[in-house]
Amino acid sequence: MRRYRDWAGRLHLPTLAALAVVLAGWSLLARRYGAFVLPAPWSIVTGLVEIVRSGEIWGHAGASLGRIAAGFGSAVAVSLVMGLGAFASRTARGIVQDLLAILNSTSVFVWIVVSLVWFGLSNWAPIFTTFMITLPVVASTLVEGVAAVDRRLLEMGDVYRLTAAQKFTAIVVPSTLPYLLAGMKVGFGLALKVSVVAEIFGVTSGIGYAMNYSREILATRMVFVWALVMILIMVATDKLLFDPLNRRLTRWR
Amino acid sequence: MALKLEVRGVGKDFLLPIIESISFRMEAGEFVCLLGPNGCGKTTLLRIVGGIEPASRGAVLLDGLPVQADRRHQRHVGIVFQEDRLLPWLSLRDNVTLVLRPLGLDGAEREARAARYLKLAGLQGFEDYYPGRVSGGMRQRAAIARALAIEPDVLLMDEPFGALDAQNRRIMQQEVRRIWAETGRTILFVTHSIEEAVAIGTTLIMLSARPARIRELIRNDGSHERRKLIDDLNAMIMEEVQRQQGDAS
Repeated sequence: MRRYRDWAGRLHLPTLAALAVVLAGWSLLARRYGAFVLPAPWSIVTGLVEIVRSGEIWGHAGASLGRIAAGFGSAVAVSLVMGLGAFASRTARGIVQDLLAILNSTSVFVWIVVSLVWFGLSNWAPIFTTFMITLPVVASTLVEGVAAVDRRLLEMGDVYRLTAAQKFTAIVVPSTLPYLLAGMKVGFGLALKVSVVAEIFGVTSGIGYAMNYSREILATRMVFVWALVMILIMVATDKLLFDPLNRRLTRWR
Repeated sequence: MALKLEVRGVGKDFLLPIIESISFRMEAGEFVCLLGPNGCGKTTLLRIVGGIEPASRGAVLLDGLPVQADRRHQRHVGIVFQEDRLLPWLSLRDNVTLVLRPLGLDGAEREARAARYLKLAGLQGFEDYYPGRVSGGMRQRAAIARALAIEPDVLLMDEPFGALDAQNRRIMQQEVRRIWAETGRTILFVTHSIEEAVAIGTTLIMLSARPARIRELIRNDGSHERRKLIDDLNAMIMEEVQRQQGDAS
């Protein structure tokens, strides 16, 4: 019995069962309202196959991921600088934390509008929006990690006369890395969602553009297909990138 | 015997006077236990001797040179804290080799020394374990190995077995006594357990209630009857605890 449960858990059997119920309900509703309002589940799978076959998926997903790499990548870089600052001085930590609190409470739409005003209809709008939205998430977890470095371990480092560089690499970096990684994981998910929204305005490539374009030509099915592409990218990065990295970093636990 | 450590009129104020004035000398190879009621300033005194905290007055001389709470001072002090303070992401071996880096030893020497002292602390075969994978007693052994590995002029221990259960505590007391006999290190050991102090120390220093001064300095050389010594010290510490609590209310 217990063995069976283990297997059931590992295969997510309960989730699959719930999914089957949802799909059945979805199919019924799709039949009732028609493909224009709600396309059938199966047609979405075939739609995905179509864009993979035609190669359309790579162009748009690549464009979105490229913008995310630029916006989110620079957010991570700036977060590292802020984290260093917060480590070096308590005053800097206070300034950084207040700044991040302000950024954290600013809406996605503010940055989209502002970047359209500043950069016009260009690649920079989604990149800048992604940067401004993910920066507070990544930086605040990193600063939190810096603040959580065990002072007693640093004191131990002083007693044994470790140099500043030795303390940094042996104590500060390993204890903040899990925070950075957690922040990056949440930040990347956010980056994907935000950049896609920003792509609705002014660019002619990317998942957000493809989704909006599909809506305009009344291809509701393709809106769902591109949503599925987003979900797949999200799951893939979590399972293939962040989870293994996290396991490797916390081997000692 | 050679004079190793001299504590000369050391006092410390922190809002209130914590330590009034304490003076004593330690010969090389001595094992001194600092006793006293909880919160009387034992740990503070140890931190001053170790150069972690500055004294408000007085001086600590190690081999005739003043100890300053300053990282540039070329002191060689090993400290075992109440907690093990091992880095959880490094193996026991790497925890020891890390503190050997500032000594300018090359990689092979660091490895050899770490192996030697981990073995001395009874951790042979566990060198590659992470601290989280071994028992609390073994972690404290590793912390002792780390402190010994720098071959310190003086080894300071601050209630190192406080977190251990009674059995492990007794085993570790014997271990420290054995390590002390084998290495001949000068040890200053803080504890609030009288049985522990009498079991391992060669000299016992009983501190008074806050603000601390030396109430009694006893040579634990076997000339005192053990049972009576423990009883006397117990009576003394009870008095001081009562005085400290009376003071607080």
